[in-house]
Amino acid sequence: MKVDLVHLENIHKSFNGVEVLHGVNLSLNAGEVLALLGENGAGKSTLVKILAGDVPPTSGLITIQSTELARLDVYQARQLGVRMIFQELNDAPSLSVAENIFLGQWPGSNGFVSWKDLNRKAKEVLDRLEVDIPVDAMAGSLRVGERQLLEIARAITQNAKILVLDEPTAALSNVEVDRLFVVMEQLKSQGVGMIYITHRLDEVARVADRVQVLRDGNSVLTTVGKEASRSDLVTAMLGHEAAQNARPTPIISTKKAVEVRNLTSYTEFENVSFSVDEGEVVCIFGKIGSGSAEILESMFGLRPISGGEIMIFGNGFRPKNPGVSAEAGIGYLPADRQRLGSFGSRSVAENLSVRAWHTMGRFGFVKSSLEAIAFNKWADALRINSRRGPTQEIATLSGGNQQKVLLARWFEAKVNVLLLVEPTRGVDVGARRDIYEIIRKQAKESNMAVIVATSDYEEVVLLADRALIMARGKIVSELTGNAVDANTLVSVSS
Amino acid sequence: MSESQTKNTSVAGEAKKRRSIPATAPLVVFLLAMMVFFTITSEYFFDIENFRNILVAMAVTGVVCVPGTLLMISGQVDLSVGSSAAVSGMILAKTVNAHGIVTGLILCLVYGLIIGSINGFFVTVVGVSSLITTLGTLATLYGVALLIGNGQTVGMRNFDWLGTAQPLHVPLPVVIFALLSIVGAVVLRKTVYGRSLYAIGSNPNAARVVGIRSNRILLLTFIYSGVASALAGAILTSQLSAGDPNAARGLELEAITAIVLGGASLAGGRGSMFGTILGLLVLGVLNNGLILLDIPTFWQRIAQGAMLILAVSFDQVRQKLNDQRQ
Repeated sequence: MKVDLVHLENIHKSFNGVEVLHGVNLSLNAGEVLALLGENGAGKSTLVKILAGDVPPTSGLITIQSTELARLDVYQARQLGVRMIFQELNDAPSLSVAENIFLGQWPGSNGFVSWKDLNRKAKEVLDRLEVDIPVDAMAGSLRVGERQLLEIARAITQNAKILVLDEPTAALSNVEVDRLFVVMEQLKSQGVGMIYITHRLDEVARVADRVQVLRDGNSVLTTVGKEASRSDLVTAMLGHEAAQNARPTPIISTKKAVEVRNLTSYTEFENVSFSVDEGEVVCIFGKIGSGSAEILESMFGLRPISGGEIMIFGNGFRPKNPGVSAEAGIGYLPADRQRLGSFGSRSVAENLSVRAWHTMGRFGFVKSSLEAIAFNKWADALRINSRRGPTQEIATLSGGNQQKVLLARWFEAKVNVLLLVEPTRGVDVGARRDIYEIIRKQAKESNMAVIVATSDYEEVVLLADRALIMARGKIVSELTGNAVDANTLVSVSS
Repeated sequence: MSESQTKNTSVAGEAKKRRSIPATAPLVVFLLAMMVFFTITSEYFFDIENFRNILVAMAVTGVVCVPGTLLMISGQVDLSVGSSAAVSGMILAKTVNAHGIVTGLILCLVYGLIIGSINGFFVTVVGVSSLITTLGTLATLYGVALLIGNGQTVGMRNFDWLGTAQPLHVPLPVVIFALLSIVGAVVLRKTVYGRSLYAIGSNPNAARVVGIRSNRILLLTFIYSGVASALAGAILTSQLSAGDPNAARGLELEAITAIVLGGASLAGGRGSMFGTILGLLVLGVLNNGLILLDIPTFWQRIAQGAMLILAVSFDQVRQKLNDQRQ
């Protein structure tokens, strides 16, 4: 039985006279998952915002559950059962799971909340989704993936018929991703239609019934999920064929830059030893929670260590705090760009120069002209797309462009050792390749030792001279040269 | 995510059209409109002597506004400046009478360093929010000011030049404020320290992770604020020829109103010295105009409170407009 839930017809949208959607059609049936793909800036977000009533279309027809609308607002959209689940959490961390599920609509009478009803109903909802979370736990104490399921549960209690999931798996571990997919299967069987936005192509075949690809505001490909080949999708997203997943040419190095001996933290990892040469790119591959990211945090002074030592160019180094590490010539790129990386309200030039200010003038002064020059130099080299040049606020750039600015920050600071955590999380395919290319080029040209902590095996294959594989806080294997391949990585790490 | 994949072409003409509304432009318009209004309604307003009065009246607030702007940009606030100025004034009045001007001023300076360090210590080392820390010192110091003079005003002899001298017909407090604000503007725009303040205010977590010594920088800025409040107290006391524990009451509210009017965001990361000066002028002209129009003084308080709320509301509206344009 096919029930049409959503029909978007010939949607156009312009911002300031610039058209970003050129007549896009989209349809969604009940009990169907539609994967919506496209690079950042392709128009995915704008399209789903139109569906949610957040943004009015310039022209076009919206039909939701057989109701034809030329315009709709957020309340109408909610009335018609449209709900958005964002990557960023929208819950109240200090309230209980049950309270969060029925946020603002707690059962009870005369202004009093009936806790018994609340907990019982919450349990029912979670059972229906086959999710096992205690209803009286505080939301803030749950893992990210669990909190996301909580938001889905809330949407269900509010009678959601059309669920938009915007990159829900970006911050999830593999186990959590599996759990999310189970929940999505449940929802399908209950007739909920889902639009699933993702950058992870391997998820498409697993979860999507149909795929739609947007590029530059046009719908360029719509196909059945199982039939979509990876290369077809990439070609549709980029508009040209992607380069083959070739292994990079290895760097032959001579000098040890970093040596880590028996590094141990209080709970996350123990007895980790490895070394990295000048100009070498080493990936520490492991699932989220395996300890790979935590090693880099400790090396930069963000997490206490209980034992072991770190040598930088043969000298002992104690990472007391990030300030000390940065001054010792170490750079660190956090996984959480928004929270720990960028200064949202400041310009791209300032964001890029923050670690090089002391070289841009004397007596504590900074020359803005040198900041602009530095920005333009790296903008060219890294293909940073900033419409208003050096003065544009960084928060207005796409994720990929922001990440390039944050990378260039450490290149401009001329660090000898660069620590990167999940450098391409939430970055679109095109920018991803740029970033790999730049990291390798910079490592080689400036003899920088690069250590990457990642949970993305494709990243390891494309980036690493050498790969260390971590599981449960220990290094379990090491792969060099052509031995670095996707199948080995996945099988050894689990 | 409305940006289309324009290739790396920086179109200058387009960039100009898309420039966001500057925070200070409407403030200038508002200031000019107010001046026109008061010129029409009061024959005494448009007069060089009256302008001098306006500047003198805003100079004391202006002195604490300079570090106040630095703090607000870094996401911090110092509410203790009013009480702190009062304590400084009481110390000055007592010591000038007994030990002379130099001793008095040195003692004020030392006091400023100490109170700034105390505020900074609690905010950076202990980690109490600056709002609470300085609210606490605001209350405590008011008590200290009353204690020093036993609840009374303390007269001060032979030291009125700091508050009333007019080198080249410009009142000395105005000169002091002008110099401080120029230094403040240069520091904010051109130095590593100034830029670090913006960075800390914009995203304190990122500032820490990128290795900016936030605690050191904030401690320093709170010390500036302490010293500035001591200086403001000294000027005020010199003007009045007396240490009055109530003389600087509400100084913190006036300072914060001016800073916020000037476009600094309470969320940090935004603001400028120029904006703050405009904010001060708006308040100064408003107060002055109300006096000239013979409106009872308690209306000034009401107007000032309303201004603060208006300023913040306006900031919100402006940000929404800018967001829509992007």
